[in-house]
Amino acid sequence: MRNGNILFVVIVAGILFSSVDTHALDGYDIVQRTFHQLRGKASVSSLDMTIHRPAWQRTVSMKAWTRGEKESLIRITAPARDEGNATLKRGREMWIYNPKVNRIIKLPPSMMSQAWMGSDFSNNDLAKTDSVLHDYEHTLEEVTEQDGHKVFTVASVPKPEAPVVWGMIKLRIRDDDVLLAEEFYDEDMELVKAMTCSDIGQVDGQLFPFSWKMAKAGAVDEYTLIEYQEISFKETLPSSIFSKALLRK
Amino acid sequence: MRSEIIMAWRNMWRNPRRSGLTMAAIAFACLLLVFMLSFQFGGYETMINASVKVNSGHLQVQAKGYQDNHEMRLVVDDPRQVAGLLSQINGINSFSFRAESFSLASSGRRTYGVAVIGIEPEKEKAMSTISDVVRQGVYLAGKDRGFALIGSLLAKNLKIGVGDEVTLLGQGRDGSVAATVSVVKGIFRTGIDELDRNTVQIPLADFQEVYAMDQAVHQVICLADRLSEVKDIAGTLRQSMAESGEEGLVVLDWTQLLPGLVQSIQMDLVSGLIMYLVLVLVVAFSILNTFLMAVFERTREFGLLMALGSTPGRLVRLLLLESMGLTVLGTVFGTLLGVLITLYFQSHGIEFPGAEEMLNQYGLSGRLYPSLSLLSCFAGPLLVLLVTFVSALYPALKVRKLKPVEAMG
Repeated sequence: MRNGNILFVVIVAGILFSSVDTHALDGYDIVQRTFHQLRGKASVSSLDMTIHRPAWQRTVSMKAWTRGEKESLIRITAPARDEGNATLKRGREMWIYNPKVNRIIKLPPSMMSQAWMGSDFSNNDLAKTDSVLHDYEHTLEEVTEQDGHKVFTVASVPKPEAPVVWGMIKLRIRDDDVLLAEEFYDEDMELVKAMTCSDIGQVDGQLFPFSWKMAKAGAVDEYTLIEYQEISFKETLPSSIFSKALLRK
Repeated sequence: MRSEIIMAWRNMWRNPRRSGLTMAAIAFACLLLVFMLSFQFGGYETMINASVKVNSGHLQVQAKGYQDNHEMRLVVDDPRQVAGLLSQINGINSFSFRAESFSLASSGRRTYGVAVIGIEPEKEKAMSTISDVVRQGVYLAGKDRGFALIGSLLAKNLKIGVGDEVTLLGQGRDGSVAATVSVVKGIFRTGIDELDRNTVQIPLADFQEVYAMDQAVHQVICLADRLSEVKDIAGTLRQSMAESGEEGLVVLDWTQLLPGLVQSIQMDLVSGLIMYLVLVLVVAFSILNTFLMAVFERTREFGLLMALGSTPGRLVRLLLLESMGLTVLGTVFGTLLGVLITLYFQSHGIEFPGAEEMLNQYGLSGRLYPSLSLLSCFAGPLLVLLVTFVSALYPALKVRKLKPVEAMG
């Protein structure tokens, strides 16, 4: 039976990657393709973020624009009390706009590891999505089978001198370049938090997980859930969207 | 026994200079111990009172779990009820409400993470030394709205001064975005870098509005009349809170609020104790020396006493009585003198020219006051008494081995 399973894997692998030798699969390529598919060249989306705690829960709706790996703008649309608050990210820099005081605040570097809007996502998670790709060395660790797909487990350790906070990130990626999970480990290789992606659907000719759930390790019934209501991928978006001038609107 | 006491007394004064010097050594050790211990305890009291006045208070009422991670949602919902309980307890000097949030403070181009604290300015004036260390501008007034006090290092980092605006951006109790712009009314410098670098104080009413707190606060802080009463007050408060059904709230005293301070006091106490032990040992050896000398010098005399029929046990008793007489006289005299000196400085204080500036930063005068207590009065002298008695045993017991004929020879 065991042999049969292995044989099955080999056959499936042979069909899926008829031209690619599995052993030659490169961790970097997999991660690069995955993040490219996740972000596209540019995107416009609307999403709900639910922060769940044992005693309470709160949902915020927002609209997000992204362009390439480095630029994004997120604007809160509901609840009314928070409407108009916006976060602009360009490269490693982040600005926050609050309509009530009509001020733009640049986030200091020391604040980047703080929680973003009280969620389980940190400012870093938002600002440095491309950092996973560039600041880490990726090694394909394991290939497993799940629901007829092969799933790659990639261990990413920071390059020397890379300005990152994690000791290791583990990515679980499906063979069609869909991110299934991302685990964040500290320097002692203890799991700190983990994100799982689900509700994989087809958008503009590519696959996208519509539901992202981030949970701290060891915390029961505490998580942040991001659910995409709508997303469309574009060739590009005008630069003006990602300017401080537009942050105010 | 009576005759032995009389003999011991006479023997003590047969060599008044030696006995006097021995007693003086013992007395001096006792005096030093009484004064130093009192001074050390007094110093701790000053330190504790200074520290609690900077920030924490002697006691705080908080929601359970708030002390660990200062989570916004863990609030004292109805601080007025707690205030009602507090006003029924004797020994409380004053109390005040506070709310706190970790936020961003921005001056436009520069932004830092800070602790924004909502305070009741009028009450806080009596409780916190921050009102005494406002270096520029003035402290908040009772009905102020839209003003802020900031630490001096923060002002420097943000490059703002009195009259400039500071934008505060954080998260409200309900998770909403909290933002406000306040005008800097005063800049304080406590001398504690951590406080000066990351503290912004705004009126509690502003805080409650901006951070969606309603009437809730995070801390009810109390100052007791006397440090020694804090534990009792905490106990009474816990009891009255339990009786009135205040659940989910805890009473924390300064040892729980300032664990670092407790540790540094313990460290200092240990190093002080080592010093005192050394002092007592030195005294013990000098006494041992004196007694040994006395025994050698008087070998002939002891031989004669034995030849006349004194038992060795009687000689040991005699010698122990002599040494006890010396130590008891010395200790009593030294302790009395120590107490007098301590009491004098307790009412007049001791000036420390060098420490004045440092103490002023905490809003204290440049004088330190020893604090005489039962412990500081008796611990040292009792130790001296014990150690000298033990060190007198050796020469006294040595006498038993004397042979009358050899001793007289």
